[in-house]
Amino acid sequence: MGNFSSEVEKAFDNLSEIRRGKLDLRWMYANPSGWNSRARPRDERGLTLEDVNAVGTYGVVPERGGTHGSMAPRGCEVPPQTPSLGCYDLNDKSLVWADNVAKLYEEAVARQWSSARDVPWGELTPQPEDLERAMCQVCTNLSEVEFIAGDMPAKWLWHINHDFHEVKCFLATQIMDEARHLEVFRKRALANGGGLLAASPGSEELLRLIIEAPDYTVASALMHILGEGFVLTLFRNGEMFALTPVEKKIFRLCMQDEARHVAYGTMHLKYFLERHPEREGEIHEILRQGEEATFSLNLNRENAEARAILAGGGLDHIEEGIEKVRYLFMKQIQEYLHRLKVAGIDRSSRLAIPVELPL
Amino acid sequence: MADFPSVEFFETLRERMNANRERFRRIGTADVVLVVKIDFPDHVRCFEVVFDGYRCESARALPSLAAARPGAVIVEGPYAVWREMVENIQRNGQADLDHTLNTLSLMDTPLRISAANQLDTDLFYRYQQTLQEFFDGAGAIAAASVRGDGQAAAS
Ligand SMILES: [Fe+2]
Ligand SMILES: [Fe+2]
Repeated sequence: MGNFSSEVEKAFDNLSEIRRGKLDLRWMYANPSGWNSRARPRDERGLTLEDVNAVGTYGVVPERGGTHGSMAPRGCEVPPQTPSLGCYDLNDKSLVWADNVAKLYEEAVARQWSSARDVPWGELTPQPEDLERAMCQVCTNLSEVEFIAGDMPAKWLWHINHDFHEVKCFLATQIMDEARHLEVFRKRALANGGGLLAASPGSEELLRLIIEAPDYTVASALMHILGEGFVLTLFRNGEMFALTPVEKKIFRLCMQDEARHVAYGTMHLKYFLERHPEREGEIHEILRQGEEATFSLNLNRENAEARAILAGGGLDHIEEGIEKVRYLFMKQIQEYLHRLKVAGIDRSSRLAIPVELPL
Repeated sequence: MADFPSVEFFETLRERMNANRERFRRIGTADVVLVVKIDFPDHVRCFEVVFDGYRCESARALPSLAAARPGAVIVEGPYAVWREMVENIQRNGQADLDHTLNTLSLMDTPLRISAANQLDTDLFYRYQQTLQEFFDGAGAIAAASVRGDGQAAAS
């Protein structure tokens, strides 16, 4: 045998004992109360997280996550010598939970799509230059801002106690969704004779606010409800901007993903505020800052002009486009306020930006 | 023969969706109750369509909007608009760019989406591809079955 560390030597010892028939087998009888589980699929959607949560006590999500600090799965026996990884500091269920999160995870997995396969790229047709340039600018901006909703969950994921695996799993699907959003808009910009146009310095302010938010719930309110809520309404209206069946399908598929992200964020804020009403002021304050940053993002030159050109159907019809963008903005605000109402927070009288564009 | 609008029409769409199993499994699960409200000059007709997982569970006529289940998403608009949408689907095999459910309801006119709260309304966005392909199923229903007056179709 070569010169191995004591750790490696110990593993060799274990192996030779097993080979000699000196078995331990204590693990076979660990966690006796968790044995005899027979989770069954509820219907043809197959065996879901909700189905396995219906078995025994496996679905009991503790108010306070395990103090062992390891990655041990919820419901197993955790040997006392299990080392803490020292990174889990989001240990309170109220800081991350939403009652719809397990369902949203399964839905996200079931509704995944591929930008390569599911978008009818062959149906792109040559466009007038003003429209192609406007579409490419909108795609450049979306490709720029979309992955904030991947970076933000990624920043917090490794802080979340493993007893809240439903949240971790859902956030992992969100990161996958946002990866697809980043690449599908990049693909569209490069696929029809145009290319990427200008990055948007004004957009970066909102992104910074989200990535530097002091805690997860504050970041979530800012991103899942405000940022992604605005984007959800924008994607819905993307069908108005669509030049061909390609953009129509892209916006529709992205819209579906955003609606899940917004549904999680809204229900998380509700869960949080029901348990921490004293922190409502803090949420108001971050939303105030976010509203201002979102407002300038929406109205900076490169975004507002490109959207108005697409909505109007060309540079010559920009007036008509501005009218449609004005309606889109009003819908964004209304839907944002209504989602906050579901979460239990009323900003209708505290909004930091106008409910309608002063045009 | 399934006249529009009628329970038979929505039943046919339901059967088509459930028969097209692989396609709807690929799109993914949808859990939503959709109420289609069709406004005639002198009366209103409502149909409730229930989506559960990969299937369309049921389609039935409602005596009124008030009979809709809690959480339902309501899509409403004039009969002429619904009829044009169905005819467009029948002509093209699927809705063209101007006749998708989403396009017709974007500006809250001619169709309008509503629900008890915004998260329920958001279900219309969350399951858009399922809902659109459900209605695109009308492409396989004989064009002659869309009645000019919409009155005679018994539910
Ligand atoms: Fe996104
Ligand atoms: Fe998102």
